[in-house]
Amino acid sequence: MPASRLELRGVSKTYTNGQPIPVLHDISLALEPGTVTALLGRSGCGKTTLLNLAGAMDFPTTGEVLIDGRSTSSLAESELTALRRRRVGFVFQFFQLLPTLTVLENVELPLLLSGARNTLSAARDRLAWVGLEEKATVMPYQLSGGQMQRVAVARALVHSPDILIADEPTGNLDTASSEPILALLRQAAARFGATVLMATHSAEAAAIAGTRVHLRDGRIQSIERA
Amino acid sequence: MKLLRTLILRPLRRDLLRTLLTLLAVALGVAVVVATDLAGAAATGSFRSSVETLVGSTDLRIMANGGVDESWIGRLTSLPIDAHFSPVIEAEAFLPGIGSTTLYGLDFVANAPSSTTGAAPETGAESDNAVVVSRALARRLHLAAGAALTAVLNSRRRQFHVVQIVDAKSAEFLALDIAAAQRALNRYGTLDRIDVTIAPGEDFARAERAIRGILPPSYLLEKPGARSEENQRMLRAFRWNLRILSYISLVVGAFLIYNAISVSVVRRRAEIGVLRALGAGRGAVFGLFLFEALLLGAIGAILGVGLGRLLAGGTVNLIAGTVNALYTTSRPAPVSLSFAEICTGILAGAAVAFAAAFAPAREALRVAPTAAMSRGAHEHQARLRWRKALAGSVILAGLALAASQAVPLGGKPVGGYVAALLAVGAAALAAPALILAVNRVTRQLLNRRVETLLAGRSMAVSLARTSVVVGALATAIAMMASVGIMVGSFRQTVLLWLNVQLRADLYVRPAGRSSVGEYPDLPSEVTGILRSTPGVAAVDDFRALEFHYRGERATFGASDMEIVRRFGRLRFLPGEDRDAILRLLPGSDRAIVSEPFANHFGVHAGDRLMLPIGGKNVTLAIAGIYYDYSSSQGYVMVDRSTLLRYLPGQPATSAAVYLEPGADANRVRRAIQLRTAAYAVAVAPNQQLRHDAIVIFDRTFAITWALEAVAIIVAMLGAANSLLALVLDRRRELGLLRYLGASSSQIRGTILTEAGFLGLVASLLGLALGFALSLLLIFVVNKQSFGWTIQFYPPRELLFGALLLVWCVTVLAGLYPARIAARLNPIDVIHEE
Repeated sequence: MPASRLELRGVSKTYTNGQPIPVLHDISLALEPGTVTALLGRSGCGKTTLLNLAGAMDFPTTGEVLIDGRSTSSLAESELTALRRRRVGFVFQFFQLLPTLTVLENVELPLLLSGARNTLSAARDRLAWVGLEEKATVMPYQLSGGQMQRVAVARALVHSPDILIADEPTGNLDTASSEPILALLRQAAARFGATVLMATHSAEAAAIAGTRVHLRDGRIQSIERA
Repeated sequence: MKLLRTLILRPLRRDLLRTLLTLLAVALGVAVVVATDLAGAAATGSFRSSVETLVGSTDLRIMANGGVDESWIGRLTSLPIDAHFSPVIEAEAFLPGIGSTTLYGLDFVANAPSSTTGAAPETGAESDNAVVVSRALARRLHLAAGAALTAVLNSRRRQFHVVQIVDAKSAEFLALDIAAAQRALNRYGTLDRIDVTIAPGEDFARAERAIRGILPPSYLLEKPGARSEENQRMLRAFRWNLRILSYISLVVGAFLIYNAISVSVVRRRAEIGVLRALGAGRGAVFGLFLFEALLLGAIGAILGVGLGRLLAGGTVNLIAGTVNALYTTSRPAPVSLSFAEICTGILAGAAVAFAAAFAPAREALRVAPTAAMSRGAHEHQARLRWRKALAGSVILAGLALAASQAVPLGGKPVGGYVAALLAVGAAALAAPALILAVNRVTRQLLNRRVETLLAGRSMAVSLARTSVVVGALATAIAMMASVGIMVGSFRQTVLLWLNVQLRADLYVRPAGRSSVGEYPDLPSEVTGILRSTPGVAAVDDFRALEFHYRGERATFGASDMEIVRRFGRLRFLPGEDRDAILRLLPGSDRAIVSEPFANHFGVHAGDRLMLPIGGKNVTLAIAGIYYDYSSSQGYVMVDRSTLLRYLPGQPATSAAVYLEPGADANRVRRAIQLRTAAYAVAVAPNQQLRHDAIVIFDRTFAITWALEAVAIIVAMLGAANSLLALVLDRRRELGLLRYLGASSSQIRGTILTEAGFLGLVASLLGLALGFALSLLLIFVVNKQSFGWTIQFYPPRELLFGALLLVWCVTVLAGLYPARIAARLNPIDVIHEE
């Protein structure tokens, strides 16, 4: 059987701050290309921790996170950096655009960090895809919240990553601004074949996911498939 | 109180490293000021101890340029006043293998001089080879009563025996009976001064009037403290300039306080907004940030005062070296730190911190309760202000130019200092525009690599903060560059001048290093020997004597002007005919004066000087003004025949020997040494004198370099501090970069590139400001303080090397912040919100 693109196998995570604080318990999930998976649950249930593990930003205490069958824990620092550069894209609740760069430069940034060539045309393409081509030269603080998040999605997808991690992508937006973002995430999976893993509290956001994973106190409570 | 703890004290504790760096920068700034002041006081104040201890209860002093005729003792004694008159000779004795010391000639026969703490010298002290030694000197030389002592007086080696050791605090001297001193020094019939003690119960004013009434008008009658005051006046410009230099570190420290408080305000905008929304008044917020500055300033200053006291110990010898080389004899006195000085140091630190924090604290005041602006928007506002800042810079530069034209105030180049301060302000205000301009020019280059793109953009966007760092670094660099240019130009000017001035092949003078203002005689036999030595074409007998003019000291010199005209290369101010001027001098009441003398006393060619010489007031016409860099006190030079007319029998104090064409200088020198072996004279070739002069010059400016180095260290601490602040402030952005695929080396590279960019812009601005300040130093401050014209010769290699060094150190200062940035945990910082 071929390996899933992203698989969590018996993953647990415990932080230590004087005393051990267990956050995730025995999570197992397999996510395939072109799918959208939503993580649902109350604040503090471990959604963000799970996203960081899936995006190879953090490592499980026990169990394994496998990307195309390769455990992230076995990767060297340089391999992890290469992995984030080429295969993973992140979207955050608070947009996290660099205030020092223009909109276009923000989108271009992952390509620049990976040392890619012809970065400008790829960035323009993605910006056009999110419908903000005309905002290319403005600074982030001149955009609305919805526009900033669209830029963030363009940035997350500029290098055509296999995995797109989105942490509350509409958590800071009103309903009207949320819709285009969700449409973009859906397209990311459908059009670019990305594996989208999204944490959300929103029912509208959860509605675009083919799989909905309900977490409670760091454990999978239920998995719902559309 | 709770507000203070949460908004100010806790963040200071949290960013402990940054807090410590700021404190260290303020401490160093204050320490340099305190150290310079204490060391300056110790080095220049010490001559008081050597003069005043001995003076004891003397009430008045009678002095005359060229010496006091001893016959005045008799005439003064016959006055109907109850006063005591003591003849004094003050000269220099050379102790072989040890150095020079003061030699007093006092009347041991008539009375026990008050100056030797009232202890009557023992019987036999008046004999020719009996010497009284001060306890401090005896201790240094391990001498006891009855011991033998060899000393060179007027180029002759003499054997003495110590008849008494007297207490005179820290003063070091030898004392002979007046008659023995006159014989030993060949000063028959003349004294250096007469000390007057007026009896208790005598009407002081009446006695003073009576004495003044019979003295010739050319004689000076002054109170004993007058000489100290004269020394202080003479050293005022030197100490002022030193003090101003020491303030540089404090100015750089002020930039850092400004930066620290700005960072505090920016980082706590959200908290300020919340506090304001919860009802905190504007005054409370304003007060909190000013309190933070005062706290940093006061603690830094307390540390600085302690550090300054330690540094003063090391600095005092440097300053004393300069004072000895250029001004007057001085043995460093112990460094003492008074309560008033402690308070002044702490107050200065706190006041500078308070003033520097005023603008950023006002910024905090403006935070609206609802607006906790994002960094981008806040910085954008700062960016919009660059035009205003540039306009302010142009205005300040204009004001600086106007201030530089001002005449000196009380002999001090106040206009020059104000202009320098305004120029620093102008440069600081020009920093934002320069950062944007450099960024724009280098944009194409910077955009090629992601590290340079991010660094360049961050520099430009964080304009409010980076311009303060650039301002601080640029100020320190400018001070270094300006002093470098000034000292380099001065050195080159002196070198060129030495080439012109020192034309003689050999110079002969009494052995031993004599102090400034002390001119031991050259035995008349020696000048005769020089003239008769084969290979010698001409000998210029030079006589120098210290004299008083308008309450200040200068040197009165006499040369054979015909020899100077034929062999020398004296340079006069533009437009003056050297040959014609020098031809006018022999046999006439004409003089030439050095440039510092002319500038100091505001005299010009054609003016008349009235100099009290001997018993007469002599009027001399100024025939010309010549360049001279050997003394800031200045020279009045006449032909030897003119001197002898008013002060007959004056021996030479040195001789310049010109050789016949083709004569072997070494051979002639050896011949002179053999022929003058019986006398303690030194024969120096031309090159050695030049070398000695440059060694003295370099030693003089050692303290200047030391002060500059501290300013640079303070600026470096500031650079590290500010970069660290930038890193901490942008930690979420740096964490984000890791999420976007940045490697830790890319993060490190970004911060180091920022450091390099910061150093580059600061170097450019610092160099431009440094050139402006060097022009002020050379053409305003030096000219008004010391009176000499310095040619402009920027030492290019030195400047380039220094700038490169500063740039490298700035990049090095970025290493620690870069390491912190690379080690940030992206998960922690990205989810801080």
